[in-house]
Amino acid sequence: MADPSPLRTDATVLENRAEGGANRRLVLRIAGWPGFEPGQFLMVSPGSRSAVPRTDPLLPRPMAVYRARQSDAAGEVEILYKVVGRGTGLMAETLPGQRIGVVGPLGRSFALPQPGERAVLVAGGTGIASIYELADRTRDRRVAVLLGARTADDLMGVEDFEALGVELRVATEDGSRGVRGLVTALLEEALGDPGPTRVYACGPTPMMRRCAEIAAERSQPCIVSLENRMACGFGVCLGCAAPLLDAGYALVCRDGPMFDAGALSWEGLP
Amino acid sequence: MSATAAVDTRVDLGGIALRNPVLTASGTFGYGTEFLPFLDLRRLGGFVAKSLTLRPRFGNPPPRIAEAPSAMLNAISLENVGVDAFIADKLPAIPEGVTVIASLFETDIEGYAEVAKRLSAAGRVAGLEVNASCPHVKSGGIEFGQNPTVLASLVRAVRRASDRPLLVKLSPNVTDIAEMARVCEGEGADGISLINAVQALEVDAETRRPVLANVLGGLSGPAIRPIALRMVWQAARAVSIPICGIGGITSAEDAVKFLLCGATAVQVGTSNYLDPGVAGTVADGLVAYLERHGVPRVADLVGALEIPAR
Repeated sequence: MADPSPLRTDATVLENRAEGGANRRLVLRIAGWPGFEPGQFLMVSPGSRSAVPRTDPLLPRPMAVYRARQSDAAGEVEILYKVVGRGTGLMAETLPGQRIGVVGPLGRSFALPQPGERAVLVAGGTGIASIYELADRTRDRRVAVLLGARTADDLMGVEDFEALGVELRVATEDGSRGVRGLVTALLEEALGDPGPTRVYACGPTPMMRRCAEIAAERSQPCIVSLENRMACGFGVCLGCAAPLLDAGYALVCRDGPMFDAGALSWEGLP
Repeated sequence: MSATAAVDTRVDLGGIALRNPVLTASGTFGYGTEFLPFLDLRRLGGFVAKSLTLRPRFGNPPPRIAEAPSAMLNAISLENVGVDAFIADKLPAIPEGVTVIASLFETDIEGYAEVAKRLSAAGRVAGLEVNASCPHVKSGGIEFGQNPTVLASLVRAVRRASDRPLLVKLSPNVTDIAEMARVCEGEGADGISLINAVQALEVDAETRRPVLANVLGGLSGPAIRPIALRMVWQAARAVSIPICGIGGITSAEDAVKFLLCGATAVQVGTSNYLDPGVAGTVADGLVAYLERHGVPRVADLVGALEIPAR
């Protein structure tokens, strides 16, 4: 199925609430929302729209579409994000009723597992926001979701994943929730089952790289969803280049954000 | 009230007839088709496609972009599909009725001339824009546009290779922009585009490293607009060929400022990243401006800057 054609529009903020730690949940009403596929993202302007366009900070921020539901001709689109700098700080200040510029949905989508294949979804930190929809769409199959973060406070969306009823395991570095340690250790355990398994990973680059290694050691396919700085999100600024093993670069926004882990040159990733 | 009937937005940019003076800048608009989901390109005067070389070219390693106050830095290094793929694959995908200006660059003059020749044989190309801000290999890597003698030989060679309307896009990284403009006019260019990005450096104080892998990048966006206005104004006073103003345009009012300083047309650049429909908004807003100010023709604004007597 072709991915939906993107919009450029002003969305209306319905909710923008704290989710623990520096994490927040933004709920937007987007008129004409075309739907989205798992793993796609939006470019979100940093802060509310006013009469005079904001020029500082200048660039929109790429944000995974966490989930969305259609109501009338609009979508209620959820974004889970972490306040890390000025742009996300301004996003955190937007109030219900205010308007915020969005472009999307953008990027390709995750290929679903093959029939008979088990899916293991591994996500760390804000990477969790990129895999909820995939978990939802694969929950009727054999799927395990492994979530990791520094502390329990940093974990986003765990209750939503619990509500999906999928097999769920959690790791925190300080042991404040789930097992103590890295989420990649949970992946090693999960891949103890030698049946055909497709690994999906999204999170910090070292985490994804380790997931790729673990999957490769067991000859299982691994798809990673990259994050990168980008100015446009639709293949024009060429800012989000990811180096390929063969030669040259792919664009995270247009050719990804998901890639076969074996196609990437991990040394060169920012 | 009808938005379009009342005013005349047409301009002639060095032999390129434009339905309105709002173009988009090379390197910020891909090959045009990327914007089709967001914008009817026929609302624009036209667009300048991404700079082309003889062969496809990969860009720099990441990080390639960074933010600065009201601006961004980029060091992409002119990644492109190559001139032949542009003609074979990209041009045919552009809708009818859209004016396409092709941008070109190479690392030596012979290369520029060859790209210009191939583009001139392509029916859809309304005009050429020579990107003169690239390092010239044979003169030790200095930008073509930074040395008047090198710039003159470049414009002369491309002029010989093509009978299409020829614009030269100038670097702002020069001491005397008026001199560079006169060189272009003297060698037969039909117009001048300015400014390209301002050479810049940003640093991460925590890591003590440059934010871009390439160390240096080009600064673009609203922060450079007053610099661009100054250079357009200086160039317009130096030459009689038309000027296409570029630099930080986000609104119709910004476009008007460039026209007042002597630009015949403008190019919207970095703002296309933030809002892929912005160039259409600028074009519509220009009509509204003309109506609001009772100006019958957009050409009446060109060079109409009023400097009070002291």
